[in-house]
Amino acid sequence: MTSTVKIDVHHITRVEGHGNIVVDVQGGELKECNLHIVETPRFFEAMLRGRPYSESSHITSRICGICAVGHATASLRATEKALGVEPSEQTVLLRKLNFHGEILDSHILHAYMLVAPDFLGVGSVIPLAKSAPEVVLRALRMKKLAGDLCAAICGRHTHPIAMTVGGFTHYPSAEQLAALRERLEAARTDVDLTVELFQTLSIPAFERDTEYIALHKEDEYCFIDGVIASTDGGSWPVESYRDVTNEYLVPHSSAKHTRHQRESYMVGALARFNVNHDKLHPKAQAAATALGLKPKCVNPYMNTVAQVVEIVHCVEDSIRLIDQLLERGITWEQPAPPARLSGEGVGACDVPRGTLFHNYVIEDGVVVGANCIIPTGQNLANIEADMRALVPTILDRQPQEITLALEMLVRAYDPCISCSAHMLDVKFV
Amino acid sequence: MPGGTLVLALGNPLRGDDGIGPAVLNALSEQKGIPPDVTLLDGGTAGLETALLLEGYRRVIIIDAADMGRAPGEWARFTPDEVVFQADDPALRGSLHSAGLGEALQLAEALGILPDEVIIFGIQPLDTSYTAGLSESLQAAIPALCAAVLEELRRLE
Repeated sequence: MTSTVKIDVHHITRVEGHGNIVVDVQGGELKECNLHIVETPRFFEAMLRGRPYSESSHITSRICGICAVGHATASLRATEKALGVEPSEQTVLLRKLNFHGEILDSHILHAYMLVAPDFLGVGSVIPLAKSAPEVVLRALRMKKLAGDLCAAICGRHTHPIAMTVGGFTHYPSAEQLAALRERLEAARTDVDLTVELFQTLSIPAFERDTEYIALHKEDEYCFIDGVIASTDGGSWPVESYRDVTNEYLVPHSSAKHTRHQRESYMVGALARFNVNHDKLHPKAQAAATALGLKPKCVNPYMNTVAQVVEIVHCVEDSIRLIDQLLERGITWEQPAPPARLSGEGVGACDVPRGTLFHNYVIEDGVVVGANCIIPTGQNLANIEADMRALVPTILDRQPQEITLALEMLVRAYDPCISCSAHMLDVKFV
Repeated sequence: MPGGTLVLALGNPLRGDDGIGPAVLNALSEQKGIPPDVTLLDGGTAGLETALLLEGYRRVIIIDAADMGRAPGEWARFTPDEVVFQADDPALRGSLHSAGLGEALQLAEALGILPDEVIIFGIQPLDTSYTAGLSESLQAAIPALCAAVLEELRRLE
């Protein structure tokens, strides 16, 4: 058993954003075990102040390129609740469809390009393209469909320009939706092959019980609105999000941590599965069974598997939503108007990586205060708790193996620290 | 058009001289005499998905800002095997996105969708900071670049 191990992964690769894994074991004792977030503060909450409410969703969608629709939707819901805007049934359907497109895009990227290389023994997707081109082509094809779905609904692949307070400024044609429906049906083959691929991967067997938090609705697998629910029991209106998140500062991270009924909690696909598994489309439930995913699952490495289950769900539910929209026929509605120009509102969405809250205070049409709580920030304390539990059990492995296990743990959470993967620089002492 | 030629401009017009690609493409689109089986496409910033844009074409001409250690506004025509895309320095990593042109071409080749002929027109930038508009030396290079690309297109006919 190694009594001294020092790991300093500077800018872990294949995650969104900049984070360093730091582990220091001396004399068999864990002195430090942290995920240092070194991403610079983004200042979006400050940027919104003084801006007209109509700009909020466009500004905040720039928080992220892969979860732009998630941010925009949470933003719009916050503004709409603050100003008494009631979106129409068509708007609600279109937003759900748009959201599915983004869940698909993000999960496919994560599962195939960020996580799968570790399991298939390659450093990135490029060597994988040489050894298994059909796998990479499949991933790119699925991702393109997801992006095209988003572009058709919100006007652009990234940063949803057609989404606005109360509705949309542009609508897809029935022909566009019908064409997308055909492609989604054809994509079922690719989805089945994705499930098959993940059945062959041996997910590390690591378990640690924790609290799982997700949005919840009685009548559907919830991504937008709902109440905040927990595997430890209880539910809270989204307006009470602060009672759940309890943000606090830590010295080693430029992002805050959160805690609720335990020292940490997890959000994201695995949390959604644990809370809402019975609301999944039957095909997705079958995929979960085939993949060995059962509630309540307490293995964070299974988060990617939960994402694969959600890929199945979102393809099936997108087809259902398109059928509904085509049956109703698309109407070029004006966006629903505000009932007032001052108020406070909280918008909540369960974006690819977990629960997202936007809280705005608006006075005479101008944003005077904003608070955004990002899912990855809510996962940081849980990632560190997992690392602290994992490290002592693998100290007897080679340093490279320990490093890889830790990197894979962080990658499983699909953290969106924001933007870019950088070079690995590992020092062993 | 399957089997034809793709002229692919890469670059971000909000990053100063990184916008040279789309600027040349714009000038090209106003020219007469472009052969019929040629497609002009603004590919935005290069990423792994750039590989998919190449599928189905027999030849691709890529126009992009490139740090070649030359004077600003100078340009060069080369093929991928004549250069090494330097990805070591994270700040200069191939392009302004995490996976660059080099990676996209590698991926296309690995997937078997790389066109038979790949020609790159690289233009040395002066300033790629967050600013709109090209430096004078790059603006001045557009007519000559346009003519060179047109000549290339006619050669391939």
